[in-house]
Amino acid sequence: MKVRNGILRGNLKVKGGKLIKCTVKLKEGRIEEIKISGDFFMHPEEKIEEIEKALKGMEFKKEGIEGKLNEILKDVELIGIDKEDFLEVIFSSKISNSS
Amino acid sequence: MQFRLIIDGYRNAFENMALDEAMLLNGIPTLRLYKWRPSAISIGYFQSMEEEVNLEECKKQGIDVVRRITGGGAVYHDEKGEITYSFVCAENFLPKNILESYKLICSSLANALRILGIEAEHAGINDIVVNKRKISGSAQTRKRGKVLQHGTLLLRVDVKKMFSLLKVGNEKISDKEIKAVEERVTSVERELGRIDEEEIIDALIRGFKKTMKIEFYEDGFEKNELKMAEELRRKYESKEWNFKR
Repeated sequence: MKVRNGILRGNLKVKGGKLIKCTVKLKEGRIEEIKISGDFFMHPEEKIEEIEKALKGMEFKKEGIEGKLNEILKDVELIGIDKEDFLEVIFSSKISNSS
Repeated sequence: MQFRLIIDGYRNAFENMALDEAMLLNGIPTLRLYKWRPSAISIGYFQSMEEEVNLEECKKQGIDVVRRITGGGAVYHDEKGEITYSFVCAENFLPKNILESYKLICSSLANALRILGIEAEHAGINDIVVNKRKISGSAQTRKRGKVLQHGTLLLRVDVKKMFSLLKVGNEKISDKEIKAVEERVTSVERELGRIDEEEIIDALIRGFKKTMKIEFYEDGFEKNELKMAEELRRKYESKEWNFKR
């Protein structure tokens, strides 16, 4: 059953790299809020806030989100994680009861 | 090339992070060596304070907590257990590739340790290891054509204390797990059997000189750096910054 409401949490340890985590708050199948965290490196750092802002309100579907991520991550340098890991951690996240 | 050398001694976490950022914004090529009092935890720019740090325990033990402007992981900076460095230069002084630039700066640290007689080497992205045991970790950021890299050099380690302050898992960490981590970290004390700060600082200076092919002149902060740092300190003390994720 597809989750449309609630809080999802994801956790991805990149092999030979760093850790990326996310918390997604879903409301009626859309992202109400998303936080991405971890011990990776990203230059410039502030792009993370841009990603979180841009994903807000989007439908929780791979296609649209993938496009948005690619757009923002285009000129971003990542160390310890890859671009694809953002998508993976977001869509491997599972419903969590504790908020 | 001439670099400023600041041998800075103790400051609290908020001043330390504010001064590193002020140095980056000001952009004078600098190596700064410093310590933390009170002991503190710094977390990486992208980390969640609540997920990484046992705040209750920090409060109980009088440990400050601060978010860095650099990425990377959470670090416990012990008052008596660490010398921290920060290195600022122009981007074009370093290899354009960020991984390569980590390698160069980290090699300066590894060479400093070798001067002390410790067989250290750069490993992974941002670590220095001795026989596969971590002795130093670093983090870098770039702004307005300038680079800041800061990092630790462990003088002595108290893994048990470190784990009481950091959230390493859901369960309370067992003695066996502490032992396992103790096997993966090391310190100057463990490798050399002594901590002579003057000797270590001297080795660090020589390590950077030799590896980066630079010279040093000893100096302090500029007035405008201190002014900037005073303003930045407020950010680093704020809940808004420290708990923003």
